[in-house]
Order: sequence, then structure tokens, then C-alpha cells
Amino acid sequence: MLRFSALLFMSLQPFTLLFSQSVVNTLHNLSAGGPGSVKASSESQVCIFCHTPHNSSPKAPLWNRPDPGGNYTLYSSSTAEASPGQPTGSSLLCLSCHDGTIALGNVLSRNNTIGFQSGVTTMPTGTTNLTTDLSDDHPLSFTYSSALAAADGELADPASLTGPVKLENGKMQCTSCHDPHENVLGDFLVASTRDSELCLHCHDKAFWSTAAAHRISNAGWDVSGNDPWFHTPYTTVSENACENCHNPHNAGGSERLMNFQAEEDNCLICHDGSVASTDIKALLTRPEIHDVFAYSSSHDPYEANVVSTRHVECQDCHNPHASRNSTANAPAANGFLLGVKGVDTDGNAVTTIQYEYELCYRCHADSPDKPGSPTGRQIEQSNVRLEFDLTNPSFHPIEGPGKNGNVPSLISPLTESSIIFCTDCHASNGSGAPSGPHGSIYPQILKYNYSTIDGKSVYNPFDFELCFQCHSETVIFNNDDVGRDVHEQHLKENTESGLTTCNVCHDPHGVSSSQGSPTANSHLINFDLSVVSSNEDGQLRFEDTGLFEGECYLSCHGEDHDRAHYKN
Amino acid sequence: MPRAIFRSALVFGIVMVFSGLCFGQGITGSAHDFSGETWNNTNEICAVCHTPHNADATVADAPLWNHEITNTTFALYSSGTLDATMGQPDGSSKLCLSCHDGTVAVDNFSGTINGNEFVTGDALLGTDLSNDHPVSFVYDATLASSDGELYNPTTQNSGLGGTINADLLISNKVQCASCHDVHRSTNLANLLRISNVSSGLCLTCHDK
Repeated sequence: MLRFSALLFMSLQPFTLLFSQSVVNTLHNLSAGGPGSVKASSESQVCIFCHTPHNSSPKAPLWNRPDPGGNYTLYSSSTAEASPGQPTGSSLLCLSCHDGTIALGNVLSRNNTIGFQSGVTTMPTGTTNLTTDLSDDHPLSFTYSSALAAADGELADPASLTGPVKLENGKMQCTSCHDPHENVLGDFLVASTRDSELCLHCHDKAFWSTAAAHRISNAGWDVSGNDPWFHTPYTTVSENACENCHNPHNAGGSERLMNFQAEEDNCLICHDGSVASTDIKALLTRPEIHDVFAYSSSHDPYEANVVSTRHVECQDCHNPHASRNSTANAPAANGFLLGVKGVDTDGNAVTTIQYEYELCYRCHADSPDKPGSPTGRQIEQSNVRLEFDLTNPSFHPIEGPGKNGNVPSLISPLTESSIIFCTDCHASNGSGAPSGPHGSIYPQILKYNYSTIDGKSVYNPFDFELCFQCHSETVIFNNDDVGRDVHEQHLKENTESGLTTCNVCHDPHGVSSSQGSPTANSHLINFDLSVVSSNEDGQLRFEDTGLFEGECYLSCHGEDHDRAHYKN
Repeated sequence: MPRAIFRSALVFGIVMVFSGLCFGQGITGSAHDFSGETWNNTNEICAVCHTPHNADATVADAPLWNHEITNTTFALYSSGTLDATMGQPDGSSKLCLSCHDGTVAVDNFSGTINGNEFVTGDALLGTDLSNDHPVSFVYDATLASSDGELYNPTTQNSGLGGTINADLLISNKVQCASCHDVHRSTNLANLLRISNVSSGLCLTCHDK
């Protein structure tokens, strides 16, 4: 019977909560008859803990509690356009309990502090005790004006706030989100946090309202690892929305109110296969990664497009308010990269990239302090934007179709007019691996094996696995008709002096027009100086002599090349 | 409450208890019973406020008024969430304030204007009413609707037998007398008309 009653009670509880419109039925009823555990020993009045009909201070709303005054530590963020000062207005009233400094029973209308049960005096430690450190709480007491909305660019105009979220004398206060008298939705909120409805009354994040994955995904948590939704009652990505990453109070990462201090933790708690289908966290354990773990607090959403202090965080490549699962044809950026900044072919900043390479150019083009090329070449260039320029004598077709109109080795559907992504070569290795250069077992985060080891004695096609994805091994070594013997000879036949690699003669990116020439640097020719040196005449060059023909003046593997003529 | 008043009230109360009368109800022996005060040479209870003849009709509907009336311009309550239209205290509230604003002597009645007995302590509201619950505003269905957290006074029961409008409002207005009964019809502290145990008085109108 007892169990039945308990069950009945529990099943009725949601309905009770749903219809508990009166403050009397909420945790803000601190009277002895209140429903919560924090309540007075014997005082029966409900309103008295906050209000008095006479001699109130502040006068409105007939306030009955001491002023916490206070010197609060305020929220600050590089991306906050508002300048919150010390709490004012109703927020200061809320804080007269919720900063944990003033006894809950300390009211102006009584000479003696009203006693509480269980020895409670001030707000017990927990999520409702915000403390005087408000740096990890949503900012408040700032003027939310049209000018602020315009300056931020991702805030609704305050004139549009005609719904449950209200400003107080033009300011955002605790009462903008919370109604202290009504707790139908939980946490005394004025609107539901499901799908972040509450947040979205003010926050108008670019791209979010279209099909951002974090807005529409119905993925749930497989209950492995840590609960990604530890501060909400919701069980899908779409329901949690903003709160997948953000926490409006007691945030682990104060700036931008992130769930966790370390930027990548906010992403990887879901992107480890426990919520998201792909396990990015596992990819980042590989030896060659974009090392998001190596940096903290060095990324800033407002940083310059051309990265000046080298770092990498998930947010450098992905905009969590915009990102979505959609593909694109090169060179267009896919949905995963939607809404991120970049640098265009001329080195100019672009607010939102159109092409994938514009993202890569943030760090791998004009950015300072880049690591040197792994191969020391005749022509050195660490700015990939210059390597892929369409005016170059040769380049892999990243920005546009390549220079060579006759490339028989291309595997269908690739043609001479095809364009490829940076991520066609630089990506996580392994079949089925998520696209993008997260982590690989191969150097330079290459998607396939790419040997640069010169002097081997046995040909192994796996050494050039990367190249053979696009360039047919059969055609490369085809000795028929036009007699492409140059590849056969260097990669397969010269076993006595040692076999060489694609990388020794070809620069996989391209040769800048400011450094190379159409004669010497067609076909991505740019020699590896650790293997190739000057010939007896002091010459070190290739000369393009026409279709599938050329001559070399150099020394290689002890062989002096003086007008060595090749057909390929 | 002036100590003298308190003392006399206490003495009177004790006398009444020992007389076997029900203590605590009726103006007799209440804070408003000034019959035993030295400054009240009439020794009457009613005369401090009322007279049967030649009453002051300056304030509309004043009940046979016999006390000097305040001419204070009061500072009014205001709030960003206040939906009522506020004005200077009128009606019976103005009569209450003719002692409780502290500008008119309690003993300025029956034409006397040189009294020197003034309200002190918690009962002294002063001329600044901005920290007091508003009075003298129309509380009707329209206000209840626009506020959203007030009961409709024309349909909601007051708990005293009728609606809020019928039992607690005067000419559709909230006045001091909406909460307080100057003549002590109950035995509640502060001359309240409805017990504020569990904030019952507040929640008669406020639907928070």
C-alpha cells in the first residue's frame, strides 16, 4: 500500500509541478510550510523573505532584505561587446540570497533573523549559490540596446523581445531569464531550455537557425564515458542545443561560459563516438595530428584571419554554431567547415570561407613561424598560397584546374580540369575515417602512405599509395607508344644505384611563379636537394622540351646528368 | 506607538481580560483607543476622528470627520512592474495619513491645531510613501489582466464572504483600509483584516 501510494505520488508529481503556478508551491516559499528542504523553522509567511508592505528598501519591489552591496567578480570575454558593471536592479536583490553572504532569514521587517531548519543560515553550497564570483555566470545588469545588438552582430534587437524574456529598464537582469514567483519550467525560468528556446530569444547565432548539426541532430548519448549533458534534463543534441557546450551558471570555462575549461574537452566529450558517430578523439591519439591539446587560451574567435601566434583548436576549423554534415565539390568548403573565417587566394581576409583552401591558408600561407618543409628543395616556399597560385608554372589543382592539359595518368573521373581539396591528400588515414586532417599515422597528416625514402633497392607500390589514388600506376609506368620510361627507370629499374621517389623530382604542392619558370618547373619539378645536386658543369636544372619530353642537368645517385633526355 | 499609549492600552487590556470580556477585538483597548490619553481631554474614543455634527467634508465620503486633514504632497511608490495608475492618496487613506504621515498632530482634532502628540515608530509612514505598498489606485479586472499576477477583484473571493471588490476595496480602490481595520474588527496584529499567516493577506490579491 505504501509502495502504491509512493508510486501514485511520483506519477502525480509531474502534473503537480506542471500546474504549480503559485510561488507558494515553489522552492522560493521559504516558510516553514514550503515544499523544499531549505525553509524556516516556524515562520509561516511566504512573502516576508523578500517583501514588506512598509518601509521597504529598495522601495520597489517593496524589498525586505539587506543590500548585499558587494564587490562581485564580473564576467568578461573577448567577444562580449557589453560592459557589465556591478550588479544592479533586481539582480542585486536576487544576489541578496544567491551570493551566499546574507542569511536567508535576514529581513528588514524583523529585528531578529528568521530561523531556518537544519541549521541553515546562508544559501547552502551548490548550483544556486553563485558566490560573489560571477565570472562564471551569464553576464547581467548590462544595457541591452540596439547598438549593442548591432555591435555584437549575433544578438536579437531588443525591440524584438516581446515574449517571455524581458529587460528591466533596458537592462538584462536575472529576471530576464528567471521569474522568482513561478517555477513551471524548472529553475524558475521564463521559457523552456529545450532546444535552447530561452537562449535563442536573445542569441541569434549566424547559421544556427538553418540546419546546424548541433541544432537538429537527434543523436543521443550511449552512456559511455562522462555525461555530456550533466546540467540539463535533455537527452539529445538538438534538445540540449546551446547547452551541449555552454553552461549559463557555474561554467567550467568562464569565458564564453563553456562547460569545460579546456576548449577541446567541450567537443570531444561528444565527438568520441559516445554521441557523435565518428570518434575524433581516437584520431587525435595518432602520431600526426592537428594538436589541439597543445594549446590553451591561445585561440580567440576575434583573432586575425591570418594566424599570428601559431595554435590550433577545434574552433579554428569548425564553427559549432554552423557546422553540419554536408558535402561539397572542390574547391567549395563542405558543411563541416561552414561559417569559419579564412584567407583568400590574394591573401585577403574573408569572413566566411567559400573554398576549403581558404581555411588552410589561415595558418599555412602568410602566417608567421611556420615549420619548414620536410623536404629541402631547390626552390623553397613555405607559403602554400603561393605554391597553389594559378599563375604558377605548375601546381596541384587546389584553387583551380592545373596547368597541364595532358595528364594521361589521371584516374577517372578525374580529368585535367578537375579541382581537388587539400584534404584529398591531408586527412586522417584509414578507410571510412572522417574527412579532414584530424589524425594520421603518416607524416604531414597524409591520408595515404607517401614514402620520401630515397635509395631503396626494391620497388613497392605502397610507397606511393598517396600518388596512385589519382595517378594510375599502370599508366605512369607505361612503356608503350609515347615511351614513358623516365618513371620506370627512376622508380623501378635503377636498383643498383638505388631507387628514388616521386618526391625527389616533384614538389607535391607547386612552384611559385615568383621563383620558378615554365621551362624549369613545369610538371611540379622542384628537386630534393638532399638527393639531387649540381652536375660537373655546375648546373642543376630541368628543361621542358615539349610534350612528354625534357632534359636534366644535374647529379643524382652518383650519375652525372648533362642534357639527359627523357621521354615520359 | 508612544509608550504612554502602549502602557494605557496594556493596562486597559488587562482590565478587560479580568473583566471577562473577549480581549483583542473592537476599538476599545486597541491602538486607536485614545480615551485614556492625557492629551485627550474629551476622554472619548471616537472624538479623535469623528463628530456627529459639523464634520469636515473636505475629503469625499469622509466619515463625519473631526481631525485635521493633512495637506502633504506625498512621494509615491513606483516600480517598473507597476501597472496601476498612481495618484496622491485620497479617500480614507488620506484620513489615515492625517496622523500617520507625522505632519499633523494626533491631538489636532475638534478644531485644535496646536497639538504636539505625533505618531512615532513603525506606525510613522512619513510623507515618503515610495517604500510602502501603494494605495488609492483602482484595482479592477483590467488591472488584474494587464498585470497578470493579480486576481480579478470582481470574481475572486476575499475569504471574508464576498469578492475582493466587495470586501476589501473602497470605490474600486485599494486603500489603507483594504488591509487594515482602523476599528480592529479582528484580533490580528497590526489591525490586519485578514491573517497574514502563510502570507494569507498578501495572497488574497497577489497571484504570484
